[in-house]
Amino acid sequence: MDFISQDLSPLWISLATSVAATTITMIAGMGAAAWRQRRTGPLSPIIDAIFLLPLVLPPTLVGFGLLVLFGRNGPLGKFLLGFGATVVFSWPATVIAAAVVSFPLMYLTSRAALDQVDPHFLQAARTLGATEWRIFRRVALPLAWPGVLAGTILSFARAMGEFGATLMLAGNIPGRTETIPIAIYFAVEAGDMRAAVRWSAIELGISFVLLAALYYWTHAASGGRARWARSRP
Amino acid sequence: MKKFSVLLGVVAAVMLLSYPAVISGLARDSGPASVSEITVSAAISLKDALDDIGKKYEGSHAGVKVVSNYGGSGTLRNQIEQGAPVDVFFSASQKDMDALNAKGLIEPKTRRDIVANTLVLIVPSDRDSGIHDFADLAGAQVKTIAVGDAATVPAGMYAEQVFSALGLTAAVHGKLVLAKDVRQALTFVATGNADAGVVYSTDARSTSKVRVVATAPANSHDPIVYPAAVLKSAHNAAAGGTLVEYFAADDAKAVFQKYGFAIPPR
Amino acid sequence: MGAEPTVSLEVQIVLRLADYTLEVAFQAGDAPLSILGPSAAGKTMTLRTIAGLERPSRGRIVLNDRVLFDSDRRIDVPARHRRVAMLFQHYALFPHMTVAANIVFGLQDLAAAERTMRLDRIVAQTHLDGLQNRYPRELSGGEQQRVALARALVTEPEALLLDEPLSALDTHLRAQIEYELLQTFQVYRGATLLVTHNVAEAYRLGKNLLVLSKGRVVAFGPKSEVFTRPASLEVARLTGCKNFSRARAIGPHEIEALDWGCRLHTVQELPAATAAGELRAGIRAHHISLVEPEAVGAVSGLPENTFPAWVVRTSEAPFGVTVYLRLRAASEGFQEYDLQAEVSQNDWRRIQDRPQPWQVRLPAESVFVMGK
Repeated sequence: MDFISQDLSPLWISLATSVAATTITMIAGMGAAAWRQRRTGPLSPIIDAIFLLPLVLPPTLVGFGLLVLFGRNGPLGKFLLGFGATVVFSWPATVIAAAVVSFPLMYLTSRAALDQVDPHFLQAARTLGATEWRIFRRVALPLAWPGVLAGTILSFARAMGEFGATLMLAGNIPGRTETIPIAIYFAVEAGDMRAAVRWSAIELGISFVLLAALYYWTHAASGGRARWARSRP
Repeated sequence: MKKFSVLLGVVAAVMLLSYPAVISGLARDSGPASVSEITVSAAISLKDALDDIGKKYEGSHAGVKVVSNYGGSGTLRNQIEQGAPVDVFFSASQKDMDALNAKGLIEPKTRRDIVANTLVLIVPSDRDSGIHDFADLAGAQVKTIAVGDAATVPAGMYAEQVFSALGLTAAVHGKLVLAKDVRQALTFVATGNADAGVVYSTDARSTSKVRVVATAPANSHDPIVYPAAVLKSAHNAAAGGTLVEYFAADDAKAVFQKYGFAIPPR
Repeated sequence: MGAEPTVSLEVQIVLRLADYTLEVAFQAGDAPLSILGPSAAGKTMTLRTIAGLERPSRGRIVLNDRVLFDSDRRIDVPARHRRVAMLFQHYALFPHMTVAANIVFGLQDLAAAERTMRLDRIVAQTHLDGLQNRYPRELSGGEQQRVALARALVTEPEALLLDEPLSALDTHLRAQIEYELLQTFQVYRGATLLVTHNVAEAYRLGKNLLVLSKGRVVAFGPKSEVFTRPASLEVARLTGCKNFSRARAIGPHEIEALDWGCRLHTVQELPAATAAGELRAGIRAHHISLVEPEAVGAVSGLPENTFPAWVVRTSEAPFGVTVYLRLRAASEGFQEYDLQAEVSQNDWRRIQDRPQPWQVRLPAESVFVMGK
């Protein structure tokens, strides 16, 4: 079929956006989880609520909020304008929108993964002279890795599926910000059912493969983890 | 357990109290009301003019209510094809009307060309952007150009034709921010988020936040003519026909011209 | 090496916990100190404050003239700088690292050559050769303990803290590991503290003994002294004594044991009595001896502190017999016993068929008398 000659740019844009967004959420999500693990205080529930908000808020609210923040008159928009950079209607906007909505997933799974690491390992590392960063890198993270990887895959899948906030902040610029979900929406609007079906199939396929990999991996990893657990007296 | 039953009681009370409001709301939306309603799906660029005209019409036709549904003409056409209960279709392009006609969805005898429009290039008015003509859109300082999605918005289709006629299609690729209708394209420019935009001259007039820098040459695009027609599936075909005739008559013409529309020659 | 600096660990802390307040003060030199006490007495907490894993509410911890913690001067050295190594109850070996990686974990700041040298040396010392590339899950309990010990010692810490070092091991391994630990303690030059709830372990592994009960120090000193002259009923009980009686002073070295119904000579001085004039006498189960009738010479008569006793019941253990005795006439009830004696199997076989009453002796030097 003439699949190849069609414009495949939404696929590359979606993939590039999701890779970039997931990289950001990995760092931000793990960092936030590690930070929150060490510091608990009366404000903890509030901080957790803020971190999880993008998960439950309507994408239109998230998009609106990002527009206010990054628009020409917004605090971050003005700041970036000083460097001659605009966020609205640009490819980085797709990354920002995708990162914001997938952050809560990364944060939750990283927290859970880090929490299940036996604190005795961390304490032993401390008495052996390691800095907190070294403990995180060489003890906590390797032991939490299966959970963190699951979070990464989930985040990636969520970033691939982001639509509402992306459309509001990045707009639909074919060849630059038109992601697969946006392509589907505009195809349906235009009555171009073939395009809609084509892109839906691609999106479904990618999401399915990601989730299957996720379950396969965590199934294998938890078997491995069970072996570690059995080794302890 | 006590807290749970209190909660349950509150929820039940809220549901019971809102029941009559919900039911009457539903009733209002279903079927024709006692007042004669005419539903018009119209291109969004007609919004300001049509709101005025609608009120005028209601003023002089007792017992009639004009309900307007605005959007990109292509989107509206889709809705009609999917069976939306519309009496009158007022499109910004012949193409959409022709498509409905080809499917046998309009009453051909009621079809009239009502107004005409011109296409302009706009920029945010608070900026000195160095854009003076369509050719400048190829320049590096233009990063984003707001246009309607050509698949569903006539203004986007006309813009595409202009770019093609001026040899700018390749140069503007990757800069086009697609809007769902021409008013959204206008907003993109008015908020300053887009560096430039292609909209109708009537849209540009409606806000001081944009400035017109050029008009598209008349021969660079299809004539921009707005036809209106009554749909075969109309509940209120007779009243719809009368309304379309009203659009073509002098009272309405004056309002259209006030908003910057041209009247096409008969 | 030349003259080595003396080792000293000074601990004086108060830590408010949910169930009680931990208040501990002691000093340790290079003689191993056993910290003994029932569970939830604060033993592990004490170790954790020294290691820097818990912060006391107030107090002072000084190791070899380095102040690790001082609440008045707001000093709280982070754990990684304290040079205090800790052996956790379940070893806490990093499961995703090999034995070698585990051991050198604390040596990151050393050059690779030095690291390898220390690794090889400690592997030889702890008999772990050949296991360097194994993972903790592939090791036996004893091997895991040795790895944990190696990991702690290779950093040449100034203090070594062991939390219940033998409790995670199978019984038949304990003797072996205990021996290895004693060897290690002899070589290691630093403050050694070990925590246990097992009386025998505390006695065998430590030279000095600290007894903790509900967050408070109830005994502290050389182990023999704490055992033979417990300061209070509580200390005697916590160190495994099973036989107690209310007592009344009769003479400077003579008491009447009211619950046992006999008069005893004592070797130690009698302490001051409580306000009510009450003393407490105690004697350890394995100090009570069942006297052979043949030993009763015609001339000297019975040795002092010897009484007729009837057996109420016995309980056989793998390597001895616990005999429950009454010093008064025939038992009225099955449970009523006065004394509990531990007798070897040989002794038991010799005496079990003799007619009762038997003669039991409570040696004067084994009787301790407490004021409270």
